[in-house]
Amino acid sequence: MELINNILYDTIYHSTPIILCVIGGMFAYKANVLNIALEGMMLNGAFISTLVMFFTGNLPLAVFLAILTTLVYGLVFSFMGITCKGNVIVVGLAINLIVPAIAGFVMKMMETANINLKNVNITKYKINIPLIKDIPIIGSILSGHPPITYLAFIGIAIFAVLMYKTRFGIYVRVVGENEDSARSIGIKTDFYKYAAVLIGAFCCALAGVNLSVERLGLYTNDMTAGRGFIAIAAIYCGQGEPVLSSLYAILFGVARSLAVNLSIYAGPAAGLFDIIPYIIMVAVLAAVSIVKHKNVKVRGFKC
Amino acid sequence: MNKKESIIRNILNSILPIFLAFVIGGVVIACIGENPMETYWILLKKSFLSSTGFMNTLHYASPLILTGLAIAVTFKADLYNMGVEGQMLFGGFFAGIAGAYITGMNPFLHKFICFAAGVLCGMAFALIPALLKAKCRVNEMVVTLMLNYAMAKALEFLSTGFFRDLGSGYVATPTIKESAMFSRFGRSRLTMFFVIAVIVLIIMYVVMKKSKLGYEITAIGKNPEFAEATGMNVAKKTIILMLLSGALAGLAGAGYMMSEQFKYTLNFSGTPGLGWDGMLIALLGGHSPGGILIAAIFYAALKTGSDNINMYTNVPKEIVALIQGLIILFLAVKFISERMDLKGRRLHNGTDQ
Repeated sequence: MELINNILYDTIYHSTPIILCVIGGMFAYKANVLNIALEGMMLNGAFISTLVMFFTGNLPLAVFLAILTTLVYGLVFSFMGITCKGNVIVVGLAINLIVPAIAGFVMKMMETANINLKNVNITKYKINIPLIKDIPIIGSILSGHPPITYLAFIGIAIFAVLMYKTRFGIYVRVVGENEDSARSIGIKTDFYKYAAVLIGAFCCALAGVNLSVERLGLYTNDMTAGRGFIAIAAIYCGQGEPVLSSLYAILFGVARSLAVNLSIYAGPAAGLFDIIPYIIMVAVLAAVSIVKHKNVKVRGFKC
Repeated sequence: MNKKESIIRNILNSILPIFLAFVIGGVVIACIGENPMETYWILLKKSFLSSTGFMNTLHYASPLILTGLAIAVTFKADLYNMGVEGQMLFGGFFAGIAGAYITGMNPFLHKFICFAAGVLCGMAFALIPALLKAKCRVNEMVVTLMLNYAMAKALEFLSTGFFRDLGSGYVATPTIKESAMFSRFGRSRLTMFFVIAVIVLIIMYVVMKKSKLGYEITAIGKNPEFAEATGMNVAKKTIILMLLSGALAGLAGAGYMMSEQFKYTLNFSGTPGLGWDGMLIALLGGHSPGGILIAAIFYAALKTGSDNINMYTNVPKEIVALIQGLIILFLAVKFISERMDLKGRRLHNGTDQ
């Protein structure tokens, strides 16, 4: 029972940053700008928020600055990739390299290997919902998470509405599907692409704050561990549909949670359990792709 | 447009990003109260202007030439093999295992076995995304990026478990036998591995510029649908290219193991890793073998220099990683062709959907 509760709680816990990256990244995906800088942006959110917390202890300021600096990266990405027509994959990779380089540089100046918020009590960020928290199973799913976790799940609904029910969402999708026609009817395509990337940056910053300050009170340079790429895989699997993509993100959360909780019983093979989530994502990606292309009869490589 | 003009443009397109990155790096150095000129001078002096330093630079360039080539062959065909890092680690790890556990061998044969182990492992690991791409049309970039993490974790598991050298105070595999080590030239770190890397580079030059495969790489990169329509089997070529890339990456890992590291540690390829460095080198060299050689030597100079920066100044050597990232960022944009050639430009809007 305890184990099931732990697995369920950890599923939500591990899904959160990926869901945030997914709902942020899917706008860029729909606008046909592949944003692989999600990883770097998330790391930046984690780094700046931890750094500000370390020096000031002011949480709102930390969150604000984390979002602000990540938006700057989003602007750099958009400017290089959209305005200057650079290769967005290369720009994304560059950001993924620059962020840990800056963090490493700053931490070297501070003479530490990681930033540890010793005087911040992270349990106080957890919201325990009265009544619900006492219900078995449901209690461990719904209660006791930090605020950004709840935001992430509410975000799925908000972003689904934003994408399908508003003019903004429709325009973003039109820009992605056929840029030339969008331009011909007077849509400012670059504006929608910028907006799509910046939404991604905003969500990634929150994911970073969640990952570092809210959950662990710690920053290390490898803490995102490919979550941004997993988010991209989830977006690919779900074809950018908010709910479907988020479900794939939760699937990763389940895999990760199972790996963490079951590795206790695995003895010396525990280290291998870390690989499982990545393997599962690759397998799912392959399965989705096979299904998607099953009925394509055209001979040709790309379609 | 004539050929001379395009060469000049290519050179300018490579030099401008470097220049911009160094200017920004200089501003950062100035901000922490150090002298940027002095720092860069140490970088230059220690990596180019002394004979030992220059030979060390060539030594560090050897694996980078190979990882650069590994990235270039796939990038040129518009395939994004981001798994060079993982393939390189896998190749290096098992080259190290072969080097440590096979004893009493002829040195020449032993090195050959290690290289073979590295190449085979690199190819095996590249086969997964290649098959997924060719048979199921899975985006190879996402797969390779994720498998890198899986590979790093798996090797961490192997080196802390089965293959751990218990005599060592930290997590490492046993040191490879003397018969598998390359001997150094004089006081520098330079070994025969550099010669091997250059030979492979020359072979790749012939393959990419003169052979049918090289032509097909370019054709697929320009327009895969057209390549398919003219009768090329793009799926098969994709697998071949990925295997070639994996083999080069594995070779790089094996060579790095036998000429520099001698055992697998958790920090085998450093940060940000030889595979990622290879990406910078391929971009900087414009995906051509000649450019890759120059770019690899340039980047290796940064690497040799960065250790000396740490030693002789108060600037943290992470500044080099920052400069590296900035170079990639600026390389993404073609500053010159943007203005000179607006019609023939190909839009890069992500990969295939």
